[in-house]
Amino acid sequence: MIARRLQYELMSHALGPAMVAYQTWSDERRRSRRAAKESPFGPQLECTRKLKELMTRHYLAGRYADGAVPVAWVTSGFPVEFLRALGFFCVYPENHAALCSVQRKSAELSEVVEKEGYSRDLCSYARSDIGCALSLKTPVGRLPKPDLLACCTNICQTVLYWYRALAEHFRVPLVLLDTPFVYGSASPHQIQYVRDQLGEAVETAERISGRKLSGERMQRTAELALEGANLWGQCLEQGRHSPSPWTGFDGFFHMAPIVSLRGSEETNDYYRLLLAELQDRVSRGISGIREERHRLVWDNLPVWFKVRDISTSLAQRGFNLVCTSYTNAWAEAGKRMDPQDPLGSAARVYTHIILNQDLNNRMEVLRRLATEYRADGAILHSDRSCKPYSMGQVDLREKLASELGIKVLLLEADHADPRAYSSEQGETRLAAFMESFA
Amino acid sequence: MRTTYLQSQKDRGRRVLAVLPIYFPRPLLTALDVVAAELWGPPGPPRGPAAARVQTYVCAVARNALAFLSSGGADVADGVLFPHTCDSIQGLATIAKDLGGWKKRSFTLLHPKGPSRQSARTYLLAELRGLARELGEWTGRSLEPKRLSEAIELHAEIDSLRAELLTRRARLALSDRALYQLLRRGEFLWPEDHLAELRDARKSLNGQKVQTGVPLMATGYVPEPGSLFEVLEQAGAFIAADDYAAIGRRLPTREVVRHSDPFETLVDGWFALPPCPTRSADHASRLDHLERLLERSGARGVLIHQQKFCEPELFDVPAIRKMLTERKTPLLYLEGELERELSGQAVTRIEAFAEMLSTQGRAA
Ligand code: SF4
Ligand code: SF4
Repeated sequence: MIARRLQYELMSHALGPAMVAYQTWSDERRRSRRAAKESPFGPQLECTRKLKELMTRHYLAGRYADGAVPVAWVTSGFPVEFLRALGFFCVYPENHAALCSVQRKSAELSEVVEKEGYSRDLCSYARSDIGCALSLKTPVGRLPKPDLLACCTNICQTVLYWYRALAEHFRVPLVLLDTPFVYGSASPHQIQYVRDQLGEAVETAERISGRKLSGERMQRTAELALEGANLWGQCLEQGRHSPSPWTGFDGFFHMAPIVSLRGSEETNDYYRLLLAELQDRVSRGISGIREERHRLVWDNLPVWFKVRDISTSLAQRGFNLVCTSYTNAWAEAGKRMDPQDPLGSAARVYTHIILNQDLNNRMEVLRRLATEYRADGAILHSDRSCKPYSMGQVDLREKLASELGIKVLLLEADHADPRAYSSEQGETRLAAFMESFA
Repeated sequence: MRTTYLQSQKDRGRRVLAVLPIYFPRPLLTALDVVAAELWGPPGPPRGPAAARVQTYVCAVARNALAFLSSGGADVADGVLFPHTCDSIQGLATIAKDLGGWKKRSFTLLHPKGPSRQSARTYLLAELRGLARELGEWTGRSLEPKRLSEAIELHAEIDSLRAELLTRRARLALSDRALYQLLRRGEFLWPEDHLAELRDARKSLNGQKVQTGVPLMATGYVPEPGSLFEVLEQAGAFIAADDYAAIGRRLPTREVVRHSDPFETLVDGWFALPPCPTRSADHASRLDHLERLLERSGARGVLIHQQKFCEPELFDVPAIRKMLTERKTPLLYLEGELERELSGQAVTRIEAFAEMLSTQGRAA
């Protein structure tokens, strides 16, 4: 245990950062030697390098975390602050699954689970992640084995079924935070239910970590989470400028720390840097794409395995994605965190996540984003294996088009599984959509 | 037939509430003179253009329900109740309420997920009281605790008769088709009418075994299409154990504790139900339950009968398969026939499965 802890500390704080810094330096050198290609994008964000370092360090430390510190696998919407305050190393299977998709590993991992009888119709994040648990294959080298699974149903019920399967596989406790779906606003007994469950979850986590939750540490983590959400929100708001200093596609990648490392100093340091760079770009008129002629809103998760192709197609024709309901969700919710009442406010905040609210609220969010970011079009990603985010989009398309007078495309794809996407059809639909602006 | 019956109930001064799957507090509705008319789709092709408002990768239950509600198919109902069974029904509820599809009153039951924890029990109690208040205002009736207690007893008797017919299936001189038709009439009949039919059916129970076919266990969502039972019968098999969400999973596995506050009894009844992926949080109890059903019924094979795109059920399939493989219990997996009749291929697979089991049985 002590040796493992030493190894973990070394990888987290000394060797790991040095290795990552070297890797980044050599990547940069290789890139600078390559001839610059004609690109429809603006200059790359300097922070991208820092982002890569941060996330690589996180996954590198993760390789040595089990046996050294308590490890929790958590859903993206879980109130992770108390786990952090108890010293848990947190792994986000959704973030890892997105990484697998970007690196074109999802189909292979899905096939592993499909052989075990999992249907191809299930969420492709879940399939990739269970595939990784069963095959131990991962692009990050190794994921630490969990001591605890922490699942919150505020993004979907799917995560509950998914984590039940993980609990069976790893034979570890599963804490469930069941958040009643919100119509309008949640009633007091619903919030109380979430608060009560948080109390139960804290007890389980304390037992597993062998520590007592310190009020002071909890408050500090909540302060950091609040600050992180605000910083992330300010970064996103830079997209309101014309031209936008970055693209929504950049945002999909730069959201990784607020999802996976929220409530930590390093995340907030990172977003301070990113914000400063974006503000600087705004002041110098640097745009995310070379020539921004149209501004779009994106709804739903990205098509991770096609981000490059879709963003390039759009940028070549002067279309910039200036905001997305997905990245925005991480700024909106966290802002309501109250460090003076960290668990009580967490119950309210985490119940009011966009995916846990009705379609009136979703329409309101899209309407507001389209107006505030002065968008003249929207792409609603109809995501085959994410039903909770996709149901209702057929009507939302009509409503957005008629109420705001903007052009709206419903793009059929999937967030992680390339086998569920027809490139040819997708490109044709995208091209027709862009032509309609002429 | 359903509509005529429900209209006759309205003529008697009762309200009709269309209810989406799966779990809801029946006694509460009965005590308020509300007839529940369950909406499992309905099966068959969508009955109206609104199905296109839901993507084709969402289950037929949710798509068909939106089409049915929007096209006036459920107009005999005065309101609709959406229990929060899964993401698809949650999505359907907000589409119908917020974006159009159902203009009359709608209610939700945001029931808890996970095991029987103190937080879940307290919450469910508050949620049920809230629903009772809303239904009371809607019907203009005040809910008497005594009436609720009586309704609880009435439904307990219904459940126990349903359970008896299912557990003593081999001694029941009814075809699967007839039995399931009877059980599914409980989805819209006023409870006393259903009770009378069940008592009548009970007379067909014999002292000894009358079903001579291969006993099977069925686990899945809803026994649709009904023609499945004829195919099974012709193939020489019958359902000896039932774990359909629509049928067996709604019957308590233990005696429900009676409390002086009938709402507390409803809460206990909720947690007395068999494990279901749409409610419960652990695999082990589900698998234990299925193994007990298998052993008690003497089923020689298992039919896993799922609806396409049904996430809660589909996620459990690998664990069920694994358990059955380890027990060396043969299984047949059937998926997605709510919108249409069984395909020729499905019929052939069922026949081959039953034949294989009966050959094995003779050899043993
Ligand atoms: S992608 Fe959709 S279904 Fe999958 S975990 Fe996320 S919200 Fe749930
Ligand atoms: S997903 Fe499954 S549980 Fe949900 S409505 Fe569809 S068939 Fe029913």
